[in-house]
Amino acid sequence: MKDAIKPFIVFLGLLILWHTLVIVFDMPDYILPGPGAVAQSMVENASLLWEHTLVTLSEMLMGLFLGVLMGIILALILVYFTALRPWLLPPLLITQAIPVFALAPILMLWFGYGMTSKVVMTILVIFFPVVTCCYDGLRHTHQGWLDMAQTMGGNRFAILRNIRWPAALPALASGLRVAVVVAPIGAVVGEWVGSSAGLGYLMLQANARLWVDQMFAALTVLAFCSVTLYYTTDRLLRRLIPWQPETSQE
Amino acid sequence: MKKTIRQVFFWAMTLMLSINLHASANNQPSSTQPEKEPKELTLMLEWFVNPDHGPIIIAQEKGYFKDQGLTIDIQEPADPNLPPKLVAAGKVDLAVYYQPSLIHGVANGLPLAWAGTLVATPLDGLIVLDESPIKSLKDMKGKTIGLNIGGIENAILDTLFEPYGFSAKDVKLVNVGWNLSSSLMSGRVDAIMGAYRNFELNQLEIEGRKGRMFYFEEHNIPPYDELIFIANREKNDKEAIRRFLRAIELGTQFIVNNPEKSWEIFRDYSPKQLDNELNRRAWFDTISRFDLRPAAKDAGRYQAFADYLQERGELKKKVDASNFMLSL
Amino acid sequence: MFDVIIRDASLRFKNHCVFENLNLILKGGKWTCLLGGSGVGKTCLLRLIAGLPAGETTGEILCQDGFPVSHRIAWMAQQDLLLPWFSVLENITLGQRLRRSFTDIVKRHPLIPPEVEDQAMSILEKVGLTEKARVLPQHLSGGQRQRAALARTLMENRPLVLMDEPFGALDAITRLNLQDLACELLENRTVLLITHDPLEALRLGHDVYHLRGYPARLTDAITPPGKTPRSLEDNGIMMLQGKLLDRLRHESFDEKPVKGEQ
Repeated sequence: MKDAIKPFIVFLGLLILWHTLVIVFDMPDYILPGPGAVAQSMVENASLLWEHTLVTLSEMLMGLFLGVLMGIILALILVYFTALRPWLLPPLLITQAIPVFALAPILMLWFGYGMTSKVVMTILVIFFPVVTCCYDGLRHTHQGWLDMAQTMGGNRFAILRNIRWPAALPALASGLRVAVVVAPIGAVVGEWVGSSAGLGYLMLQANARLWVDQMFAALTVLAFCSVTLYYTTDRLLRRLIPWQPETSQE
Repeated sequence: MKKTIRQVFFWAMTLMLSINLHASANNQPSSTQPEKEPKELTLMLEWFVNPDHGPIIIAQEKGYFKDQGLTIDIQEPADPNLPPKLVAAGKVDLAVYYQPSLIHGVANGLPLAWAGTLVATPLDGLIVLDESPIKSLKDMKGKTIGLNIGGIENAILDTLFEPYGFSAKDVKLVNVGWNLSSSLMSGRVDAIMGAYRNFELNQLEIEGRKGRMFYFEEHNIPPYDELIFIANREKNDKEAIRRFLRAIELGTQFIVNNPEKSWEIFRDYSPKQLDNELNRRAWFDTISRFDLRPAAKDAGRYQAFADYLQERGELKKKVDASNFMLSL
Repeated sequence: MFDVIIRDASLRFKNHCVFENLNLILKGGKWTCLLGGSGVGKTCLLRLIAGLPAGETTGEILCQDGFPVSHRIAWMAQQDLLLPWFSVLENITLGQRLRRSFTDIVKRHPLIPPEVEDQAMSILEKVGLTEKARVLPQHLSGGQRQRAALARTLMENRPLVLMDEPFGALDAITRLNLQDLACELLENRTVLLITHDPLEALRLGHDVYHLRGYPARLTDAITPPGKTPRSLEDNGIMMLQGKLLDRLRHESFDEKPVKGEQ
């Protein structure tokens, strides 16, 4: 069986499980609508869903892009400017420690209700995993390579470019995989606390009007986006790091 | 003689013993009048305890529920849209909810029904800062309104702006969650909706800003009850609900007659959470809003509001008020 | 060709002295082999010469021609140290990449000019890896990888070559073949080869020293006769191997076990 088909089979299985749960527990459709009702709502509201998906997606993607860029830069600073480490590490930890829900209203007041605040939320949510993984990768370069580079008379920048950075890519990739999956949280929580558009906004609207199937439709689309984003990123990362062989197959 | 004394003594003991046994036997429930166990009802509020719940708290603290033979388990939710789902699913007996949202729920097939009124006037309205240049609803065109999505914004705004020739589409709506006052004070929005006249107006004043409200019912919107009780339409104990509302009525009465004292009782229900200046001011502003006749059913008024929502496009089909109001 | 003089070298880790007052002369253009048991300090000495961090060190490394030894060393470790993300060709031209300065980048000098690439290809031919030039190291065998490391060492084109048990991880046959290859290609360079295999030392070394004891000391040099790589059929070599093996074995019974890195 081709590997690419397997996720779809799992997805189908989950749908069947969902359907069964609804029937077996006689779930009223205002608590958990069945997959059929949700699918119907998705079809009926396709253009509405699409419009709001684009908003949330752009918030996520922009947040990911900027967050990863800033994260890599910070990791580089932490590696090369050791004197700054004790000053920079605590605020970094705080970005992870403070629950996003608590920070959200303050961010709204500072950055307004447009895309900026959601992008900032997303950056905050993904920042720590990206920085930690990249930093770990950069500072655990194999000593043998660094010794060899020293005897060859390499300069710091060349060593970074040819040895440290490629060696850190697998660790960074792990951080990116995590970031991609948690980015939607930042975007959606931001929308719950201040927005006029997006899947999170749509979910709130549907919930207030007790259109539970529409709420679940938005939720399903959000989950689908997350999963797609993960698999796409995974593929991309494997292309970028073709030299890292997987040793987990028996 | 000794034998006689012994005999008498023996009989006396037997007599006393049998009297004791007889007396204790009489105290068993096997006697004709069974003791009534108080009926337990779960009541889920729509938000954390606040002055809008005055009659409930007074009824609880002054024992009115107990007098009616009821034990009320008061619960607080994290999400205001959870109570109707739990009532519909039969997990709680009663909940505090909103009239417009009840209509939405019924339209979506939830088996809910009105079971008494708590606050008989709207508390909602459109609030602007007093210093804002918006002097009349006409000035709202093109402005930004912060709100907590409730489900009838479009109908209300269309009605408010109709006399001036524009509609809800001509303003920008931003969902700000529960941060209504702060968004207004920060200037990020020009007006807010979903804020209560007894609450947020006072909150603004405490912060040193003054707010001004455009009252919905003064601008062509049909009157509605802000807070009501709901129960499951199919499974409900009418008798118990009647007694519940009687206790509520007594609570409301007490508040109207004894405003200061009732504030103290409310405050002392949970001093750490309730004893603050905002609650105190809100208390006195809410007194005139409580329904003095909680069990009184006004189907005509409910039908009018439901029709209004349907005409304004908030409902897909007409609903019949007699289908979702209990006759108590 | 010039001699490399190591004078008064000493190395300590905290309060543990690995060796002190070590003196060694690496004859120009010749192979010097250093033999020793595990943990005696051979690799430390090598790192000291190479200028790599290795604990508290003192000592002078002098070159007979008067110039400093730094930037005139090619380093070959026991691990091939091939970078997994570069092809074989890219790996052996690593020195070129690492020495590329900012001005080179700004002025857009080509990374690998054609003459350098030609040189690299001819070296690959000498080690027998021409078809593997564009291949990633993960697809090479152990022997091929070490050959690529050898090619890289050659490419560096340095007068002094330091080798730390470079063939230790290979099987016996591949090891012999690679010893012969290295000998041929690194002729006329000053080589210091660290090994724990007496046969390897005797086959390849013009001077063979034994580092032993705690603190470690160098024995007098053994200078086996004949041209390198010496044949296994040489009885003299085989006898010397026997003697050295015996010495190494008993060293581990007599001397105190040495802590610290090798």
